[in-house]
Amino acid sequence: LKRCQISMDMHHIEKSFHRIKNTIQMKDVFQNVTILSASETLYNITPSDVCCMTKDVLGLYVDKVFRNHEESDPRIQRGLSTIANSFLHIRNALEQCKNQRNCDCQKEATEKFQIIVGNYEQMEVKAAAIKALGELDILLSWISRNYRPKATT
Amino acid sequence: APCVSSGLPKPINVTFSSVNMKNVLQWNSPEGLRGTDVVYTVQYLIYGQKRWLNKSECRNINRTSCDLSYDTYDHEEQYYGRVKAIWGKHCSKWAETERFNPWLETQIGPPVVALTPGEKSISVVLTAPEKWKRNAENNSVSMHQIYPTLKYNVSIYNTKTNKKWYKFVTNHTLEFPQLESDTLYCIRVQAYVPGPRRKAKPSDNQCITTLKDQTSELKVK
Amino acid sequence: DEVVNLPAPPDLSVHSTNMKHILTWSPVTIPGETVNYSVEYQGEYERYYTSSTWIPSSWCSSISTPECNVTDDITATVAYNFRVKATLGSQSSSWSTLKELFNRNSTVLTSPRMKISKDGYHLIVEFEDMGPYFEFNVTYWKKSPNSQKELYKIVREGGNLVHLETMEAGAEYCVKAQTIVEVIERSSTFNQVECIRAQDESPL
Repeated sequence: LKRCQISMDMHHIEKSFHRIKNTIQMKDVFQNVTILSASETLYNITPSDVCCMTKDVLGLYVDKVFRNHEESDPRIQRGLSTIANSFLHIRNALEQCKNQRNCDCQKEATEKFQIIVGNYEQMEVKAAAIKALGELDILLSWISRNYRPKATT
Repeated sequence: APCVSSGLPKPINVTFSSVNMKNVLQWNSPEGLRGTDVVYTVQYLIYGQKRWLNKSECRNINRTSCDLSYDTYDHEEQYYGRVKAIWGKHCSKWAETERFNPWLETQIGPPVVALTPGEKSISVVLTAPEKWKRNAENNSVSMHQIYPTLKYNVSIYNTKTNKKWYKFVTNHTLEFPQLESDTLYCIRVQAYVPGPRRKAKPSDNQCITTLKDQTSELKVK
Repeated sequence: DEVVNLPAPPDLSVHSTNMKHILTWSPVTIPGETVNYSVEYQGEYERYYTSSTWIPSSWCSSISTPECNVTDDITATVAYNFRVKATLGSQSSSWSTLKELFNRNSTVLTSPRMKISKDGYHLIVEFEDMGPYFEFNVTYWKKSPNSQKELYKIVREGGNLVHLETMEAGAEYCVKAQTIVEVIERSSTFNQVECIRAQDESPL
């Protein structure tokens, strides 16, 4: 993200997820399956691919994951709304970077993103959505580590 | 012979307690079985992998904790732990933790703080806490390497003026110049990582007296 | 109970200062009755991706005052809409919504309240705690007839006495500050400059 500097609110997104993490993860009964498993996909993405990988994964969440999950508990609804709207803001900003050719994917990153999509689409729609929501801590940690706020004195 | 899964109550409050990636599974004994010779058996699962794995060192133990640091060493993964109670031929169902994410949930321990008093200054050298090591011979991994944004919140309390103030630093050495000589100052340091509410243990309060002012000493002689 | 035509609460608007957002509306008055209100919100995501669902506000389901602190609902830098309905017993009015959507990047930012002090030769600054979104850009300099070299420091949070500089004996130092809200990429104007003089060299 370094070439494509956008203002993120990672601290509050992480706080929102932290409040609903256990409730969401308990609904995921497939403990032996993972969509975002760090070691296969998000691990050692080159810095130049971080922007496009972020844009694509956020796009998966915005276009599919949040939509495929129905939630009746207002507390969870509010937490997910914070994250969905924040992802939407970030993805829209990254789209503008793409238009300025600052956010292109190289082959390896595209392949890794396809692994994620494959993992997601192997599962039944609702089970996949709840698992992907439960793995937001993996995604948020990865984004935090690849995006450093401006150095201070 | 395998125990019979009967109505034995499950262990309760099964959680991971983690400081500097030393990850210990702990639980409370089930209601109604306290004080009896109940024993416990532990398993763990690496999230996304197929099978639950036995922790051989924690089979049929009577304590209510089990160190899983070795098995949960990769802090990029997430884990579950589970424990069941065994009493004679009867055993309870498994009691499971929530999904445990060491990178997010470990508590950052206090740094090592070395103070050196000067006449009107105090030098502070900080050593970042280290990640739990699989064995003593292994190279140390500093928590600073795992959390590059790790910072230190250093507080200094002047016992004469009763004022306390803070310095937020990223490097490991700092000096408090222009202090008052022959004065007791107390310093406490907390390592912290900006981001989600990660718990952090501050160091103990260390108090030290700045040296006497040599020049005024000579005058007095 | 007697059927009363409950009008939708009019004049919905959001007043926002320093990232605290208050939704207000004009009250619906029914003589001798207490009218309650319920508030719901939707962000850009709910409007375009989930067939316009609405989410109950964190703090304002069935309240009797015509205002609601929606700070905990507006948690992304996108356009939000709010709707309010009046209820009286089992009867409910229709919903009224904002005339204009609200985005938190339009919040009014005031310059920060600041206190400078010293502990011997040490210049100390303290800011009011303005909440988790706020950092403080502090500019300070030593007063001197010829040059005036400005230094900067970012103070991450308010509510603490933070060391700014080790002062030279007898010198005067001046400080000014502005707030920075990174999530909306804006900052306030600078506050009033404050100056303080370091103690003279301690007598031998």
